[in-house]
Amino acid sequence: MSHGTKSYIKGVKVSERHGAGEWVQERLSSLILVPLTLWGLWSGWTLSGAGYDGALAWFGSPLNAILLAVTLLVSLWHMNMGLKVIVDDYIHRPASRNTLLGLIGLLCVILAAAGVFFIVRLALGSAPLPAGFGA
Amino acid sequence: MSTSPLPGDASNDPADDQSGRFVRQPNGRVRPLSPHLQVWRWHVTMLGSILHRITGGALAGGAVLIVLWLLALAFGPDAYATFTGWMGSPVGLLIWFGLTLCLAYHLAAGVRHLIWDMGEGLTPKSANALATGSIVFGVVVSVAFWAGLFMTGRVVL
Repeated sequence: MSHGTKSYIKGVKVSERHGAGEWVQERLSSLILVPLTLWGLWSGWTLSGAGYDGALAWFGSPLNAILLAVTLLVSLWHMNMGLKVIVDDYIHRPASRNTLLGLIGLLCVILAAAGVFFIVRLALGSAPLPAGFGA
Repeated sequence: MSTSPLPGDASNDPADDQSGRFVRQPNGRVRPLSPHLQVWRWHVTMLGSILHRITGGALAGGAVLIVLWLLALAFGPDAYATFTGWMGSPVGLLIWFGLTLCLAYHLAAGVRHLIWDMGEGLTPKSANALATGSIVFGVVVSVAFWAGLFMTGRVVL
């Protein structure tokens, strides 16, 4: 991207780089998370003291499983952006910063993949792991 | 702000300074970092901002715990008993309570940010009220949530 070209919308200069993309994503994800957090608190209330059988019964409802998967994925998306802002603010050495941001991204991807994998198994009523995985 | 001796290997050349007193802007220019916490007078909007960041960081740990809960559940009754043994202990319950507090505060403070982003509530008076309100909301909701859990017998010590 050349630094000399400047574009304007209605007389206001438009960003030459990432623009408002991350800003909009942070707001969009938090907007989605407002109702999901309230649902999450209510679910936490329901699941507290419900035990293993109660938790499995809760996952028997597809709506619960879908909402939990969506909540987890949007939360991790939001978390990745939030932790990135913290690292950007305090870690100034480019190599350290990029390494840390990579590790945070990796953690989010692992949590997302593992979380969705477990949620799908629990929603389908699969046998407890390892269940054929190396057993 | 008085000048203090340079810490450790800090250089006077902003271009290769590693002490964090300078930042390289995306356009390549080196600029001094704005003054940090110890310089400012404490204020509720400042506290609200700091708490928003701290609670957000703590909730990242909460996300790891939730995935561990899913893992334990997916690995069957024995694994789940181990998990609830740890996280149902007094220390475990204290961690859950702390995460509830973080979640309730971060939720309220997040809504506060969305209100600000719409250009509302930006006068000193309303900004203070929103910050105080977020803290009160976080404490009241999390204490009521856990009082309810204990009173209905869902959670026992």
